[in-house]
Amino acid sequence: MLSLIAYTNTLSAAPGETIAVKVGSYGARTYRADLRRIIQGDRHPDAPGYKDEAIALDLGGERVARHQAIRAGSYVQIADRGNVLAELSSFTLAVPVLPTLIGDTERTIFHLTGIGLELLIDAEGRACAKLGDARLTLAAPLAVKQWILLILSFDKGELCLSALTRESEVIAAGKTSAALSRNAPVAVMIAARAPGENHFDGKIDSPVLFSRALEPLEAVARLALPQNLSRLPDLVVFWDFSRSIDGTEVIDASPHQLHGRTAQCPARAMTGWRWAGQCQDWRQIPELYSAIHFHADDMTDAEWQTDFEVTLPKSLKSGLYAIRLVPDGDEAQAYHCVFAVRPPRATASGNTVCFLLPTVSYLAYANHRLGLDVPGTEVGMGRLVEIDRHHAFLQEHPELGFSFYEVHGDGSGVFHSSRNRPVVDLQPGIKGFLGGLGSNVWQLTADTHITGWLEHQGVAYDVITDEDLHRDGLALLRQYNVVLTGTHPEYHSLQMLDALQGFVDRGGRLMYLGGNGFYWRISFSDAHPGVIECRRSEAGIRPWEPGQGQFHHAFTGEYGGLWRRNGRPSTELAGLIMSSQGFDLSEPYELGEAASDSRADFIFDGIDRTLGRKFGAFGLSGGGAAGMEIDRADFALGTPRNALILGSSKKHTDIYLMTPEDMLDPTPDMSGTQNDTIRADLVYFEKEGGGAVFSVGSIAWAGAMAWNKYENEVARMTWNVLRRFDKRN
Amino acid sequence: MARYQITADDVPFAREFMADPFGYRSPGLQRVLNVMRGLGPQGKYVILCTEPYRRWQLARLPARRGEAIEAVEGVNYDDLGTAERDVFLRRWRDLGGPELPLELLTMRR
Ligand SMILES: [Fe+2]
Repeated sequence: MLSLIAYTNTLSAAPGETIAVKVGSYGARTYRADLRRIIQGDRHPDAPGYKDEAIALDLGGERVARHQAIRAGSYVQIADRGNVLAELSSFTLAVPVLPTLIGDTERTIFHLTGIGLELLIDAEGRACAKLGDARLTLAAPLAVKQWILLILSFDKGELCLSALTRESEVIAAGKTSAALSRNAPVAVMIAARAPGENHFDGKIDSPVLFSRALEPLEAVARLALPQNLSRLPDLVVFWDFSRSIDGTEVIDASPHQLHGRTAQCPARAMTGWRWAGQCQDWRQIPELYSAIHFHADDMTDAEWQTDFEVTLPKSLKSGLYAIRLVPDGDEAQAYHCVFAVRPPRATASGNTVCFLLPTVSYLAYANHRLGLDVPGTEVGMGRLVEIDRHHAFLQEHPELGFSFYEVHGDGSGVFHSSRNRPVVDLQPGIKGFLGGLGSNVWQLTADTHITGWLEHQGVAYDVITDEDLHRDGLALLRQYNVVLTGTHPEYHSLQMLDALQGFVDRGGRLMYLGGNGFYWRISFSDAHPGVIECRRSEAGIRPWEPGQGQFHHAFTGEYGGLWRRNGRPSTELAGLIMSSQGFDLSEPYELGEAASDSRADFIFDGIDRTLGRKFGAFGLSGGGAAGMEIDRADFALGTPRNALILGSSKKHTDIYLMTPEDMLDPTPDMSGTQNDTIRADLVYFEKEGGGAVFSVGSIAWAGAMAWNKYENEVARMTWNVLRRFDKRN
Repeated sequence: MARYQITADDVPFAREFMADPFGYRSPGLQRVLNVMRGLGPQGKYVILCTEPYRRWQLARLPARRGEAIEAVEGVNYDDLGTAERDVFLRRWRDLGGPELPLELLTMRR
């Protein structure tokens, strides 16, 4: 278990900039911090050895560790202004809801604090209203995943609650006597009683308040014509969730303008109670996307206090770093806050080699629970799930929030991931679930096989993050001859792809040293700093779908899903496309005729290129260079005609299956021992203008590079390519 | 989800697994493993890394997020192959598989 966890305000900082560190104790009493440069993070006995480097920088002495809690759950908060809400003496609240989880606990839909008015679903799943000491509960429990219109009115000491179907059929109704009294400042909470308390799971569609008691059918008739609401003299507020969908604002469309804000990124651009398939893109008919889907376990900002700040020395070289926090003097229990020191912003570093740290893919997998939540993970691993102390901590602390691989408590997909919270699997030296027989490392730790090798070779290199690339674009890459990817750069924004494509189109050289790269689209948003959105529409290997009509991102309106379905297949950039995955064993490539092409001479310098020879039959990730997630060249899907296919893996275990996007018509021959599409291809191609691309199409490649302390033919080939790519013609 | 039932016809696949718990599988063994490994999450066998890459302890997953993983006291392994064989035999029994020949049971360690 972890006795202390932490996060920083950024995953990338330039020399001279300041990083804020936020620490939470989960048992630790004290800690000391130091700055480390991370070199090689795999602790397997056959790996080249864990290696980092202390940076001489005083981060202060021993500090007291304090607990900082995490309050998961999204909501909307609105403050009263001009006593619009405080002076209500009679009212009707009309709100369509679609609960996705009921039972166990009370779940608040709407809470008017200071007046003590609350509309909720009780622990038995029944709609319930509270006003002061009065409590009114409807007889029949609500159904989940069905729209229901709740109409709550109060006038002259009588509180009435009705539940109606979308077709205006009254399911249940009741009334009780109650009194309205104000005892504190008035504010509104939607989808929670208070932050972290009695959160609602499900959709809420644009609540409306009127200043008099209405008959339920009249209120429903008004909800059906939202465009008429703002001119009704008895309208108090109309929180129109279909406006400002891409931001955190919640707009009151009434003349009072009691606007509010969302917190913890509930899902917006969600179909409302009047959506019936009229459109698929919220930008076409936004008024049908009038719902917000709230989750009791949404978590995009832990909102922790800063414990200390670190100003990076101006002379600090670019690289992969961590602020290491050692609790109670026990180095073995250290927590690492990993970040990149990017090159200085105003001047070029002089380095011509750049390692692109795939922080977006790290966030996509942040705090992932595949081996904990999904029984089938073991089937895909082909062996028992290993639990290290960070996994055990994750299991007990779901409030840390999820990755794109999880579903929420109500079974709906996780659309958002964030760096504004502790990400306990973004640390060197930890175990993965999917890393294959051997080291079983994934993402960051697997990527340190590459940084360790760069250090071993004595390469001077810069490290930049995906977020740097997204913000700065090609302007950031111009100074480099070569960009190296990590082992699993799976998720990309359009801006990131454009920058990389622009780089190779203008003479840049790309070494794609991973698998399943450039696969899913994500979006950033200035309204949600540090958060990314992903909607897994239609195809792709995916743990959930976004729901009908909800395939467009709320952040940008972009159509979510595979880049392959969005006109930007990875073949265009990298020459390869996702073919299969399996997390047990890896295989060698068998060398093809193109290995003997004179254009590939430099690649095979010092390497036997006999046709059919097995290349890379070793490694820390499954025992071969080709495995875990693998990509093939496919000329029909856009691999450049001039691409040389230097080698291909020729068989994989039957855990490797065809992807859903390839498996149009399933037949029982779509597994690794039977189907030729299930392979990793090793590809090289040149571009007009001097650009060139070397792609390995395998997550396991770097695990082979690190084999035998980087002394092997896979490392040698990688070196041959890097050396040549770094020379400008 | 799983439909397949382990019967006496699967004994040769138990033999195949006990001989080599990793590697390529016959289709029959793969089917047995799919049933076993798809179990859970409640009570699912996992292994805790008690000493990184050196020692593991048998444990079982809880039913729900937030609940603790329960270690099985006294069941430790010094290598992954031993862990795989032991869990295979436990699941064989849990799934109502027929008696296995003694020589397979003694391959456990
Ligand atoms: Fe992936």
